[in-house]
Amino acid sequence: MDGKVIANRRLLKGYFLMSLKMPESFKKPIPGQFLMVRIKGRNEPFLGRPFSIYSFVQDGRGVFVEILYRIVGKGTMCLSGQKKGALLEIHGPYGTPFDMDKYPRNVILISGGIGVAPVTYLASQYRNYLPAALHLEMVCYHGVTGSRKLLGLERLKEFCSDVFISSDDGTVGYRGSVVEMFEKDVLSYTPEDTMIYACGPRPMLKKLAGLRAVPRFRCQALLEEHMACGLGACLGCAIRVREGGGRGAYKRVCTDGPVFNIQDIEWDY
Amino acid sequence: MGSKKTVYRPGMAVDIGGLKLKNPVMTASGTFGYGKEYAPYVDLNLLGAVVVKGVSLQPRKGNPPRRIMETPSGMLNAIGLENPGVDVFLRDKLPYLSQFDVPVIVNIFGETVDEYRRIAEMLNNRQGIHGLEVNISCPNVKEGGMAFGSDPDMAFKVTREVKSATGLPVIVKLTPNVGDIQAVAESVEKGGADAISLINTLLGMSVDIEKKIPHLKNIVGGLSGPAIKPVALRMVWEVVGKVSIPVIGIGGITNTADALEFLITGAKAVQVGTANFINPKATVEIIEGIERYLRKNKMNDINDLIGTLNTGGNVC
Repeated sequence: MDGKVIANRRLLKGYFLMSLKMPESFKKPIPGQFLMVRIKGRNEPFLGRPFSIYSFVQDGRGVFVEILYRIVGKGTMCLSGQKKGALLEIHGPYGTPFDMDKYPRNVILISGGIGVAPVTYLASQYRNYLPAALHLEMVCYHGVTGSRKLLGLERLKEFCSDVFISSDDGTVGYRGSVVEMFEKDVLSYTPEDTMIYACGPRPMLKKLAGLRAVPRFRCQALLEEHMACGLGACLGCAIRVREGGGRGAYKRVCTDGPVFNIQDIEWDY
Repeated sequence: MGSKKTVYRPGMAVDIGGLKLKNPVMTASGTFGYGKEYAPYVDLNLLGAVVVKGVSLQPRKGNPPRRIMETPSGMLNAIGLENPGVDVFLRDKLPYLSQFDVPVIVNIFGETVDEYRRIAEMLNNRQGIHGLEVNISCPNVKEGGMAFGSDPDMAFKVTREVKSATGLPVIVKLTPNVGDIQAVAESVEKGGADAISLINTLLGMSVDIEKKIPHLKNIVGGLSGPAIKPVALRMVWEVVGKVSIPVIGIGGITNTADALEFLITGAKAVQVGTANFINPKATVEIIEGIERYLRKNKMNDINDLIGTLNTGGNVC
């Protein structure tokens, strides 16, 4: 289906927020799901690119999604050049979403860099669709390389009671990695009524998986991988997972994931 | 005169070595899973045939990542023939496809001639299988690792063995990574193939200049997509000029015009591959497009179009 670019705003150097108007038939994405986005009618770049959802709105004016993205290569570079009114080919929503707790007490979001996008959408859905009477404690630990890479805080703060920031260079918040910052607090959470959701660079997720306390929590990580089809056919986005304590098996990030139990992921192969 | 114009529907059916297809558009192996992956987007009943992801005797895990890399107008892949094996295919994958009114062609491969024969035997006389497509682009483990399809004698042997093990129509899929594609096509025909499909992917490579490493963990991979279409078309032209069995054109077919080029050149059918990745509805859009083309050109039957290429008397 076609998505029409409503706005494509540069928020920071190399970071953009794109708003798309979607056809009425577009299905509401569940947090953790993604879209395959392609520039219409072009063979260059050839493949679609997967993007998490940053927001979804359906109102009297239509159906809208937002994608928050960072320029990392040719695909995102081309996307950043798309002007208001341009048409994009959109497929999806694809993928196995986050497992959301029906009656959550504590939700911890851990994000690194552009990983803030899917956790923000998840936070918004937890906030907007839980029974009002339910008391949910939701906090976010967000890591960036430096203060000039910080974005999306205002929206996160709408949903989270606390947003803790870390930066590698110490220019904002805690100096060090987001996982180190979280580690200092981890013992103050009770595993039986806490869900952890993480999205960020692979080294960050690997470090989180390696924390001693983490296996006691239910912890889901959203991964990204190069994809061709996004729907389970090309087998290009394989990652290695542990299976039944035995040897590793490959799973598809696009359909088996992109959300995985963090303990199932094999980090080195 | 005010008489109601009825839209006539041109004949779209083709016969591929005894295999009757309602139209000449099928899916290429490895790009359409086992059908189910695409069923939410495509009415499988509309397709000429579904060619499933390659199946081997034993399950195969596939290659370690990274497995794919985008290239200009195409992509490289080194999936490593990942598949659940023939037993799981028969138990879990085939029954789903059997619900549809579409011929199912099982793509098979092996590492030895014997493996090809055994898998062909296992798939013989099975309800819901209408043909075999033999991938001969894999290395012959017992004979130094050279691809079966790169040598006319080995290609002949595999074809003959598979043919003797099955009553199903046998399509042999050729690799383009050879010096003389006509020689391989001829020996496959001699071996008893009912049809030939070509081309499989072209061997390629891509390098990350920052890290100075290959993009693919496997170093090399198969190139597919619009980038390879001219090569595929040339090879189809060479092969249709040499053999008398039907030829199925594959390679970079992304839209109706691409498919028509192959049909005009002499392919009796086409397979749509990588295009499924960027547009899940590519196959059905191409089927509709071919029908429109026939109507526009006032042709009654697709078979009147196949092989109508005018080269001014030149042959290859």
